[in-house]
Amino acid sequence: MAIKSKRYQEARLEASTNLELYWWVFMRISGVVLVFLLIGHMWMNAILTDLNSIDYDYVAKRLSQTTWKIYDLLILGLGLLHGANGLRYVLDDWIRNPSRRFWTKVVLYSLIAFLFFLGSLSLFNHDFGVN
Amino acid sequence: MYRGREGQWAFYLHRLSGLGILVFLMLHVANISSAMWGPEVSNALMKFYHQPVFQLGLLLLIAGVLYHGFNGLRIILMDFTPWGVRYQRQLWYGVWVLFVIFYLPFLVKIGGGILGGSHGD
Repeated sequence: MAIKSKRYQEARLEASTNLELYWWVFMRISGVVLVFLLIGHMWMNAILTDLNSIDYDYVAKRLSQTTWKIYDLLILGLGLLHGANGLRYVLDDWIRNPSRRFWTKVVLYSLIAFLFFLGSLSLFNHDFGVN
Repeated sequence: MYRGREGQWAFYLHRLSGLGILVFLMLHVANISSAMWGPEVSNALMKFYHQPVFQLGLLLLIAGVLYHGFNGLRIILMDFTPWGVRYQRQLWYGVWVLFVIFYLPFLVKIGGGILGGSHGD
């Protein structure tokens, strides 16, 4: 079960497995990193750029630069993992029927895995170092 | 855990914004990955998403990300400091102060774009 504690010491006591504790820690660490990555991402695309000018060329150019490949890959990986685990907490709370909960998780985890595959594929589909 | 009031709202909004962001992230990855199918497919999709209704959605999304992020920092303070839980309510108002400061530029830029009738053609 997901950890409900609000303090690290209690979370450690509450954690039924080490894995559950690692997820709890992961949510905090990835959360802090994502705050900065996402504010930067949104600022760049919505404030520094005119949103309406974003098209194929803009995306292809951005994704051709190694720095942005790594930046976006971090957002993709951390964001999907953070989101998947958050979703797991929600599903554990909301879906009482065990078999329905299991199959919902199977479908959603598969979708998230597929999106990680699709997203990283499109990141590395563009040449490195093109300006 | 919480006895109603601010803490309860903080919790509900955190979940709701989290789910909303995840749904957006899925659409966003699918949309951006269309670049793999070349300019025609990609530009057609982009143009579709440049409609004002999606920009309103974007404003909602940015609000969600900012709230979720800042409230997440509040949760971390509650977890790792000896005083965080005691001041969770004050911290929540701090979240909203940060939210307004960071949200205003987006509101002005994107909101202004919608009102100005810009849609990328």
